[in-house]
Amino acid sequence: MILHRVWVYIEQQGGRVHPVSWELLGVANDLAKQLKTKIGSANEKVSVECVLLGNNIRTLARDAICFGAERVYLVEHSALEQYMNAPYCKNVTALAKKYAPEVFLIGATNLGRDLAGAVATSLETGLTADCTELVIDEVDRIDHPLLLATRPAFGGNILATIVCRERLPQMASVRPRVFPVPPKSDNAVGEVITEKAVIDFRDRRVELVERIQIDQEGVNLEYADIIVSGGRGLGDASGFKMLKDLADVLGGKVGATRPCVDAGWIAYEHQVGQTGKTVRPKLYIAAGISGALQHKVGTQNADFIIAINKDPHAPIFDMADVGIVGDLYDVIPEMIAQVRQQKESESL
Amino acid sequence: MIKKVASLNHQLSFDAVVVGAGLAGCATAIAMAKEGLKVAIVERGQRPGSKNYFGGALYTHAIAELLPDYMEWKPPFERAVTEAGFWFLSQNGLTKMTVQGGYLDKAPADAFITLRSKFDVWWADQAQRLGAFLIPKTTVVDLLRGNDGRVQGIKTDREDGEIHSPVVIICEGVNNLLTQRVGLISHDLEPSRVALGIKQLISLPADIINSRFGLQSDAHGLAVSVLGDVSLGLPGMGFIYTGKNNISVGLGVNLDVLAEYRLKPYEVLKHYLEHPIIKPLIKDGQLLEYGAHLIPEGGWTDLPALQTDGVMVAGDAAAMVNALHWEGTNMAMVAGRIAGETAVLAHKKNDFTCNTLSEYSRRLKDEFLLKDLRQYRGFSKFLETHPQFMDVYPSFMNDAMGLWFSAFGKPKKQLFREIFQSLTKRRSVFHAAADMISMAKAVMGW
Amino acid sequence: MFHAVVAIKQVPDTTNIRIDPETGNLVRAGVPAILNPYDAHALAAAVEWKRRLGGIVTILSMGPPSFAASIREGIELGADRGILISARQFSGADTLATSYVLAKAIEKIHSEEPVSVIFFGKQAIDGDTAQVGPGVSVRLDVPVITYCSKILLIDCEQNEIVVQRKAENYTEIIRAALPVLLTCEKEVSKIPFASLPDLVRSLRYEPEIWGYEEPLELDRDKVGSKGSPTIVFKTATPAQTEAGELIYCDAVGVANAVKKVLERTEFRSATRVME
Repeated sequence: MILHRVWVYIEQQGGRVHPVSWELLGVANDLAKQLKTKIGSANEKVSVECVLLGNNIRTLARDAICFGAERVYLVEHSALEQYMNAPYCKNVTALAKKYAPEVFLIGATNLGRDLAGAVATSLETGLTADCTELVIDEVDRIDHPLLLATRPAFGGNILATIVCRERLPQMASVRPRVFPVPPKSDNAVGEVITEKAVIDFRDRRVELVERIQIDQEGVNLEYADIIVSGGRGLGDASGFKMLKDLADVLGGKVGATRPCVDAGWIAYEHQVGQTGKTVRPKLYIAAGISGALQHKVGTQNADFIIAINKDPHAPIFDMADVGIVGDLYDVIPEMIAQVRQQKESESL
Repeated sequence: MIKKVASLNHQLSFDAVVVGAGLAGCATAIAMAKEGLKVAIVERGQRPGSKNYFGGALYTHAIAELLPDYMEWKPPFERAVTEAGFWFLSQNGLTKMTVQGGYLDKAPADAFITLRSKFDVWWADQAQRLGAFLIPKTTVVDLLRGNDGRVQGIKTDREDGEIHSPVVIICEGVNNLLTQRVGLISHDLEPSRVALGIKQLISLPADIINSRFGLQSDAHGLAVSVLGDVSLGLPGMGFIYTGKNNISVGLGVNLDVLAEYRLKPYEVLKHYLEHPIIKPLIKDGQLLEYGAHLIPEGGWTDLPALQTDGVMVAGDAAAMVNALHWEGTNMAMVAGRIAGETAVLAHKKNDFTCNTLSEYSRRLKDEFLLKDLRQYRGFSKFLETHPQFMDVYPSFMNDAMGLWFSAFGKPKKQLFREIFQSLTKRRSVFHAAADMISMAKAVMGW
Repeated sequence: MFHAVVAIKQVPDTTNIRIDPETGNLVRAGVPAILNPYDAHALAAAVEWKRRLGGIVTILSMGPPSFAASIREGIELGADRGILISARQFSGADTLATSYVLAKAIEKIHSEEPVSVIFFGKQAIDGDTAQVGPGVSVRLDVPVITYCSKILLIDCEQNEIVVQRKAENYTEIIRAALPVLLTCEKEVSKIPFASLPDLVRSLRYEPEIWGYEEPLELDRDKVGSKGSPTIVFKTATPAQTEAGELIYCDAVGVANAVKKVLERTEFRSATRVME
């Protein structure tokens, strides 16, 4: 019997799973569905599985099954308590060599990117980074189904579709929030397989001395539903105070374009766009942002986009659902006032 | 801290240092390198040309005087100027006065329309081919002087940034800070004698350019000076140059005028580009570049001392521009060449004092350069004090020509009366005559 | 002795790239080629530590002859030696084939003079994959530390390095034994303004060219497009979105404009999916 395995790497730190892993389980199940329709013989099956490494994290395996994994390969060891490149790479590679998955998806977080390239090279296979679309090829089928991985290139000006022929697994990394989190099903059924950890004492040559949590403001833009974002049109850092007021009254977060971060007006944690965070809020307000493609790539999945800019020809208006041509220093305070008023009248 | 041992005995020294890799700078470097001098050119831009911008056309005589075989090195010219002249623009009319054929029918042509971003790189390549050493991304901030006050080279804005040489040729361009610092001129740029040249470079297919401008082929090119309703009634001149598959459309207007009327340069250009006659010429074109550059127009008045001990100055830095005749680039190249030849002479005599170097200004006096700068010394001021040449006369000319060509079936004596009235309602005969005399004086230099 | 090897790449300046509206193709004409900014910062860090500790910095690049300009720029920024690995056979390389060649080259360099630290920029601004650095580390069996934002200590006697690395929500301090491979963020070092002697040296510098046959012994199936499992299947321009309604403050006044917009917007208060 031929088993086509579609794998997802479950990223966990300190016992918490990064939501991108769940998003990827959704993608994996989509791919599995596509695969199943192309399978002719009854002798072939498709299985969505995942890899979970750490220490004392068995309960997370259950979550993985609830989000769509049929099987979880679990590796637990004290040496895997904290993520470090070498031991994680060795263990993931060993599992991949043992089970020969055909597709392997990893979230393109800092950790994921740290890990994926090393694993791909260890497996001498191809890896396509930051994919925005993943599809099983309609036309071509050699001895295994082909994954078509699409990603933006040249600053988002072009979409390139990449294939990896003749090597397995076909690896792809995906940024958080490109795909939605699938529904969680509490009565899902699945298998947990415990695997032995591969420990190499030489990996102790790299030591984690300290880890300092920085996200004190709780920025976490990627999962915000409402984002008020500012661009160069703000003129200087003080504009962000005003945007924060609007974000607060709306219950959202503040975002920024790369030039603002580069100019030091606001911290990198707020950067939205191709080299910053990909977001998919319900509401995105872009103030003083021209709408360069690199920014668009990170924000186009927003449900509703309001743009405010002095220049009626700014490209941002092409992607906005509604736009105001005016001075943001007039518009934003007015918006704050009206929203406050609306909230007050609603609560009456 | 361990420093590289090499840097201790690292002294950069050359036979001559040139400040600026523009038209004058590379010309002077070519002249010196040809005679075997070790030359360094220090350029503040990323590459030659990155700080230069013009209309415009280059004059081949100046290139040929330095490199007789220049065509073999494939200079990146756009079209040859096969048609040139003046357009007189009024609010709703245009009279074209251009010439083609005859004196303009030469091979190679006397003038080629050019893009500086390409040409300056080629020009610097010629200097390097002959052995000059180009140092880009570096600004010369001062001269290097010995204890006796003699010029020993230059200082740059980089660490360990001194270059030793007995003679320095300043070709730093219109913003002549070093020239001022050295004391060759006692004052900074005067806004009333500096113009801002501003233009758009617009991409259009070659055949569209040919049909819009009546050019026979892709090898034919037009260069016109546009007078009249170019700069919102203020003193200024417009221009149009046809490139291979692009056209340059722009104008020059004085800085003090911009300041006095609180005009933004782009507003002035926009008005010109939206003129009902100009607009269709650039229709459907794609904007490739938009830029501006200062043009020194003081000429004779702003001419610095051209040399002192160990130093000479050439090009825009020495205000060598004749706006009416669009000459500046060739003055830069000619002056650069002569300065270079003077430096070679100084090396032969091993004497870099002002006495020897004044061979430079002596020779320039014999060239067209200084003669013309002197002759046209009143021209810039003339345009300013005679704004009627911007509006009255062009619109009169358009009226006169228009009347002539719509007088079918009209008694011609009436036509002449109408033409005469068209003048006198704008300007009395007396004043018109006085204007003509003033113009002759300004142009002839009396 | 401190010996740093810095891998660099020349890339098109992607902030200036346009798409031809008619053909949908990239307009490459007039787009300047630059030294990948992250590599420049990584190199600046290597040079900074060389100046502190003494030693040498070797730069390395795989690419066509035009990459020589970036090697020169690397010499200008303070590198001592520049090697360009260039041959027809290397073209079409994806990250796997690239990491193979670079790893082989670094092995050779190491055999001549032991390497303490290998520097990479965190990613190239054209490919953006960030894969080659970790790939090289696996091949050389050298530990990799990605996203380095600061180098706190390098001790060649004790064979130790301490770096700060940046993740989305936390910063880590990592200690490792040399040799290591670092991929660097921009803040790892400031780009220096070269001294005149360094600039002049770079202008006169001719990179060493390493080809396909020598001095490296390469497996022909692992280089260039042959050694690249991934290929570009097709390219497309992103779909243009439809522009929405534009409301002019000049026309209706700020208050009305905002009112209109708020009427059209449906939003509920934020509900976070995951904490």
